Amino acid sequence: MATTAPETFPVHEDAHHDAHADHKPAFFQRWFMSTNHKDIGTLYLIFSIFAAIVGGGISGIMRMELAEPGIQYLGAVHEFLGGAAGDFDGSLHLWNVLITAHGLIMVFFVVMPAMIGGFANWFVPIMIGAPDMAFPRMNNISFWLTFMGFCSLMMSAFMPGGTGMGAGTGWTVYAPLSTTGSPGPAVDFGIFALHLAGAGSIMGAINFITTIFNMRAPGMSLHKMPLFVWSVLVTAFLLLLALPVLAAAITMLLTDRNFNTTFFTPQGGGDPILYQHLFWFFGHPEVYIMILPGFGIISQIISTFSRKPVFGYLGMAYAMVAIGVVGFIVWAHHMYTVGLSVNEKMYFTAATMVIAVPTGVKIFSWIATMWGGSLRFASPMWWALGFIFLFTVGGVTGVVLANGGIDDNLHDSYYVVAHFHYVLSLGAVTAMFAGWYYWFPKMFGVWHSELLSKLQFIVFFVGVNTLFFPMHFLGMNGMPRRYPDYTPAFELWNWVATKGYEIMAVSIVIFFANILYAIIVRKKAEGNYWGEGATTLEWTLSSPPPFHQFETLPVIDDKAGAAH
Amino acid sequence: MAQTIAPSGNGPNRPRMAQNTRTGLIFLGVALAMLALGYAAVPLYRMFCQVTGIDGTTQRASAAQASAVQATGQRISVRFDGNVANGLPWTFRPMQTTSNVVIGEKALAKYEARNNAARDITGTAVFNVSPVQAGKYFTKIECFCFTEQTLKPGQDVEMPVIYYVDPAILEDPDTKDIEQITLSYSFYESERL
Amino acid sequence: MGIRRAAQYATFAGAALMVSAGTALAAAAEATALPEDAVVGGYVPMKPTEGKGMPTPGAIGFQEQFSPIGEYGQWMHNAVLMPIITAISLLVLLLLLWVVVRYRTKANPKPSRTSHNTLIEVVWTLLPVLVLLGIAVPSMRLLASQYETAPEGALTVKVTGYQWYWGYTYPDYGGFEVISNMLPEDEALANGEPTQLAVDKRMVVPAGVPIRIQTIGADVIHSFAVPSLWFKLDAVPGRLNEKVMFIEEPGVYYGQCMELCGARHGFMPIAVEALPRDKFEQWVLEQPGGTLGEPAMTDVNMPVQEPESAVPGAAGAPRPDSALEEDVDAAEPAPTAA
Repeated sequence: MATTAPETFPVHEDAHHDAHADHKPAFFQRWFMSTNHKDIGTLYLIFSIFAAIVGGGISGIMRMELAEPGIQYLGAVHEFLGGAAGDFDGSLHLWNVLITAHGLIMVFFVVMPAMIGGFANWFVPIMIGAPDMAFPRMNNISFWLTFMGFCSLMMSAFMPGGTGMGAGTGWTVYAPLSTTGSPGPAVDFGIFALHLAGAGSIMGAINFITTIFNMRAPGMSLHKMPLFVWSVLVTAFLLLLALPVLAAAITMLLTDRNFNTTFFTPQGGGDPILYQHLFWFFGHPEVYIMILPGFGIISQIISTFSRKPVFGYLGMAYAMVAIGVVGFIVWAHHMYTVGLSVNEKMYFTAATMVIAVPTGVKIFSWIATMWGGSLRFASPMWWALGFIFLFTVGGVTGVVLANGGIDDNLHDSYYVVAHFHYVLSLGAVTAMFAGWYYWFPKMFGVWHSELLSKLQFIVFFVGVNTLFFPMHFLGMNGMPRRYPDYTPAFELWNWVATKGYEIMAVSIVIFFANILYAIIVRKKAEGNYWGEGATTLEWTLSSPPPFHQFETLPVIDDKAGAAH
Repeated sequence: MAQTIAPSGNGPNRPRMAQNTRTGLIFLGVALAMLALGYAAVPLYRMFCQVTGIDGTTQRASAAQASAVQATGQRISVRFDGNVANGLPWTFRPMQTTSNVVIGEKALAKYEARNNAARDITGTAVFNVSPVQAGKYFTKIECFCFTEQTLKPGQDVEMPVIYYVDPAILEDPDTKDIEQITLSYSFYESERL
Repeated sequence: MGIRRAAQYATFAGAALMVSAGTALAAAAEATALPEDAVVGGYVPMKPTEGKGMPTPGAIGFQEQFSPIGEYGQWMHNAVLMPIITAISLLVLLLLLWVVVRYRTKANPKPSRTSHNTLIEVVWTLLPVLVLLGIAVPSMRLLASQYETAPEGALTVKVTGYQWYWGYTYPDYGGFEVISNMLPEDEALANGEPTQLAVDKRMVVPAGVPIRIQTIGADVIHSFAVPSLWFKLDAVPGRLNEKVMFIEEPGVYYGQCMELCGARHGFMPIAVEALPRDKFEQWVLEQPGGTLGEPAMTDVNMPVQEPESAVPGAAGAPRPDSALEEDVDAAEPAPTAA
């Protein structure tokens, strides 16, 4: 990775600059009007953790309800939220609201804010030797738009949405269920939430692209950038190209709902299938948006703890570019059962399987990075190793689902739920925890407990596998997604999955205990606490880095560049 | 500005800011172009379906074009299907379930529609054929679905459709084995603005 | 609680093993062993066979398949895909374990600086390509077979998805429509049927012949899915979809709606009952409006059974009073009232 010889790096030996660099604004100005990429990154991380509690809590209600056949808890939750007692359809509608909210929150308000808003905001400018993002104020707007989007989504839960309160359309918001099928303002607010979060993310994408293109330190060529920066660059392009299409599609939904347009309703010649095409043209790149930064984080960690540069750096970078490009031409594999023609289905089957190739390159390159290395097993490395295995399992079930003919049985079954939770909940979230423990002392200047971190990993690993692996069985046996109740034949594995959730929940308690540990113990972290192997620019700074870093731009030593 | 980015004069910040603005605007333009493309997808998708017949979109021809088509000796079965959207108080059904037509020859089919409500209602029919790959070869010359239809209270009308099956259907490996094409209509109440 | 449950699951698992061990032969035997329910002259709903056409408690694989496409799909999954994906996952796991043991700091204090090996990079790019090509061959065959069109004279059943029940129209047999609602738990159990899957009126079709299934949605998108027949097709409003279903032997095959369609999405199951041709025709004649005559109706004035889908506000599921209907009505451009 890009290394910088210490002598080319005089910033922090300059007392005058240091004094200025650590001048922080007052509390309100610092946290509510922030233009500092590190503070905004911290805000995003806090926001993401908060949203994860909400989204994860919702999945807790869902797993509780699914532990046994029959409707046990929905009625009570429905009443608690202000619904009429004994309103059966209202309780079932609540189920749909829960699955919708869980999906939207996890995608737009947990993974994206943590990966892109949090880690990328924190470390992209530092890793390329820039003092801040290109547009610091727009950075702040992005965050608050995302925050407002979350508020809008939360508000939608308390508005009429058809059979009950809230938007019960699924995170895909398919027309006509989301248009003529869901009267009431709840769905409008849900859509508006996507608009706000989407606008925030598009601004973020423009910001990252501009920062990475224009603000690299002298000598930091594109081919020397750390892989995390590469992953964020590719992600930013995916956001920039995919999100506006979503914005267009959901705006058309809004006008279909409120202004009598017929983009997606058959009267007037609209086509509900067109909405699905537009949604998945966004939706498929979106899944890569969630996982690519994770790829970047894992690359940094594997390299650090192997004390070895990443194997096949260029292959790794361009594998991500390839995944991003191919990700735009495979969308209809989410629509295999809508009545596509045989040629369409064959094309999308073939194109989808192609993605396995660059993904395989990444998996093998990570292993090759460790091959011949001198491995240390600090906690981030545990998470990274877990990521590689879990992502592989999630990836191979993707190859199964890619086959249009096989998907005819598995489509919209729990097998799909298992697949995307393996790549997202177990893949992306594992990468997020890896990044969290890799950078936590760097961001906050104090140590977490390595012991608790490892303990959390073990509990989390056992929990999520117990939670999601049985879902493959349920799906193959025929259990459909988005069902609050099921025939007793599905009970065993549902019960096991709920137990898995409980184990996973314990790991989250350990996570918070670890934060508490850091706050109470306040064990100071050095600048480069991982030592040899941690070669990117953030390790040349103190922990936490000064409020303004790189007032004098670092110069990247040509001989120690990443590509060598 | 001073408190946000490195303030002092040693950094090349001022020219860089102008450059950033330029780059940012370029990519804002890209985002707006994608937004426009999202909207453009609506007519593009329709055109794409009409050209390729994908998704069972039927073709349209003039009477003159139709008479230029050479009839073949082979026959194909055509099935007719009618639906009424929720909330439209009409009865609508095909007057023949199936027809055995000569490929390449014009054929007439009729639907019957009745307005069961006590008010004038205007409806529009949407349509497709299945199997989807047959759309490219199913050509309508005249159809009640080309225009809106208004029915008076209690009015009962016959609605004709004149069509032919393009002989090219026999050449396409995806369609040559099709034994029966289904033409399906769904009537919706026209939007009143 | 825990022990009771564990015991229950042990029996489930035993049953699952037995069923998954069952071959087509055993299935055929089961079919013949079906209780002869049909009284002469009257249709009596067939008793389902445990483990046939329905999910099996604790199963870890597909339901047993009763169509050629299903058998091929299951073969492709079990014999082609599963070995490949298991091998890949194990390979990655073993490589991970190997590097963890072999290259830990103690075992290998001095890291190498190797970061390139063109040969191996080419190999691990090309090998997956070959594996994928290997998968693509049966995959494309399966796909192509799913698009084979129905032969001449095939029976057509039109499946309409409503919120929240199914309608099965038989246009060639008088155009009658069977409305199918989920049975309440007690009735399902009384009939010896699985709860959440049993319906009051099944879609009855002949076994052993290709059936042209056409789906359409009356209100929102639904999806007509029967896992043991490897069949899934969305029911989209304003658009008729079509696909061939072939059921090898008589039996009851359960399915469920598989596209989110609103509050009772989970409460509109599907039950397909396949009968020998003569029994099927008997059933048709017992339906109001059911005929075995020439399908084509040319006489306009002939009184026909109006398909339910042509009747606004079709009386389907006995819906309890809920806010929904008022909301829907209020949202629609008010027809006469207002």
